[in-house]
Amino acid sequence: MSIIRKNILRILKKLFLYTFIVCMSYILLYPVLFLISNAFRAKEDLFDPSVIWIPKHITLANFKYANLLLSYPTAIKNTLIMLIPSVIIQTFICMMVGYGFARFRFPEREILFGILLFTIIVPIQTIIVPLYVKFRYFDFLYLGRLIGLITGKPLTVNLLDTPWPFYILNLFGMGIRSSLYIFVFRQFFRNMPTELEEAAKIDGCGPFSTFIRIMVPNATGAIITVMLFTIVWHWNDYYVSTMFNNENLPVSVMLTILNTRMSMLQAAQGFSSDDIYLLGSTVLEAGCLMVILPLIIMYIIGQRYFTESIERTGIVG
Amino acid sequence: MKKFSLNKLNINRVIGRKKLSLREREAMYGRLFILPWLIGLVVFFIVPFIDSVYYTFQKLSFGDNGLEFTYIGLENYIYAFTKDPDYIKNLTSSITNMLYEVPIVMVFSIFVAYLLKDEFKGRTYARTIFFFPVIIASGVVITVLKENVLGSGSNMVGSATTIFRAENLRAVMINAGIPRWFSMYVVDVVNKIFDLTWRSGVQILLILAALHNIPKSFYEVAIIEGATEWEKFWKITFPMISPTVYVAIIYSIIDYFTDYGNQVMRMVVTQANNGRFEYSSTLAIVYFVVVMIIILIVNRIIGKRVVYLS
Repeated sequence: MSIIRKNILRILKKLFLYTFIVCMSYILLYPVLFLISNAFRAKEDLFDPSVIWIPKHITLANFKYANLLLSYPTAIKNTLIMLIPSVIIQTFICMMVGYGFARFRFPEREILFGILLFTIIVPIQTIIVPLYVKFRYFDFLYLGRLIGLITGKPLTVNLLDTPWPFYILNLFGMGIRSSLYIFVFRQFFRNMPTELEEAAKIDGCGPFSTFIRIMVPNATGAIITVMLFTIVWHWNDYYVSTMFNNENLPVSVMLTILNTRMSMLQAAQGFSSDDIYLLGSTVLEAGCLMVILPLIIMYIIGQRYFTESIERTGIVG
Repeated sequence: MKKFSLNKLNINRVIGRKKLSLREREAMYGRLFILPWLIGLVVFFIVPFIDSVYYTFQKLSFGDNGLEFTYIGLENYIYAFTKDPDYIKNLTSSITNMLYEVPIVMVFSIFVAYLLKDEFKGRTYARTIFFFPVIIASGVVITVLKENVLGSGSNMVGSATTIFRAENLRAVMINAGIPRWFSMYVVDVVNKIFDLTWRSGVQILLILAALHNIPKSFYEVAIIEGATEWEKFWKITFPMISPTVYVAIIYSIIDYFTDYGNQVMRMVVTQANNGRFEYSSTLAIVYFVVVMIIILIVNRIIGKRVVYLS
């Protein structure tokens, strides 16, 4: 291949790459730009056909109302209380179980792994009512009932409206999409060279210290990837949260009921019902922005580590 | 006699003191590692799941003493298959849609991950953009976005929907003599570009991580041997990422079937919200038996072709 042909090819490749990225940016950013544009819009602009992207009357009022309707600070606090321990527990447990599936041979492994796949596809909706009952009368994994045999009255605790259902489910590898993370870690560990463990074994490490001291530090990439997913999915979850909480609602659930809380504005700000109707969509859009904003900030700060970690997932090369 | 029993005792003592065989020990440690999950599986999955299956043979009603159950046999199932006007229709259309959407998502994800792998100016920006859907697409926000941006209700609708539609394309393609079914397919895909790109964030991420996991020395060897880009992709890259591609395919299928936008899922949720929990369970269980069968078939086809390094 001549040098000229090579260069032309390279330029064409670059050209294609950048065109593709620009087009994709448009598709992917459009909804967010749309949200931003609408959230800053005053109600005069809603019926002004000359306003397409940049509002003529920029206002922060929508955010103010959304803040009120979402009870934003409390909702964020509730979300974080549920989220931070959940993410840590979930990542660690899934890593452990994934490692167990990847690196140890036992007769029932394949069938259990098949069941694991099955749990990924059975959505929480199928089992949510029995789970609800389970946490309403939580018996410490049947221990409470055992005590009940002796004392006559089973020991149960109501865990609804606390973050405990999340912690417990995560601790036993049954949290939001836990099975998927186990699957990811299993694939990751299966692909790691066995020499590492053999070396650790020769140096006198047991399986657990091998796991903690050799495998975990080498899995940073997979850990960060899974952690990002766990944070995002816990943050965005609203189905499970609605089922297990009546108060202490996290921010995503608050967003789903924002519309029904619009009448609060009537009382607090003295709006007429027509005003409320008009404000409906812009306040909702401001609310959406406020809900995803922490995730976006987290992502923008963390993305450097995150993308770098993707490059370092391997221990070789 | 005495000697024998002593001997037996001795053996027992030796067994008791001696550690388990290597294989048994490995199995034991393996079980210990998966123990938390195993407990969770029984307590928080299998038992609730059996409860749910039990509900499908009952009629639930709210009586004076809380929930009341009446045994009605297979009536819920019979209703779902023979009387419900939407269920079979939605089920089949879900499956056919999955069959062509998942391959597209996969090809698109591998393609994008491959593009984002190499060093180029603005790569950080591009990566940030492509992972955007991961952040937003799983929550309530995407529902609001779809309704407000791509649906009806605001004055932006006209412009928004035509951006992502390709009605003209179909006419052009049919005029150009391209078979009708093929142009319909292409147009359908183009119409869904928004959905599909928004659905491939996780897959892109997984595959990108796998791409970076491939030892560089493999490529160096290939270059010395004089392999072309095409050969390098099919002989090195693809086999090396195949375990991840496998995860991503399974994930895509599941993601498609459990998405809140999926018609069957919507039926399940609506029925539950209407208080017909027994019927909702019935629909969900039939649905997931079907999905499970599909996944087992896919697993059969792909599972064996996956290449593991060790």
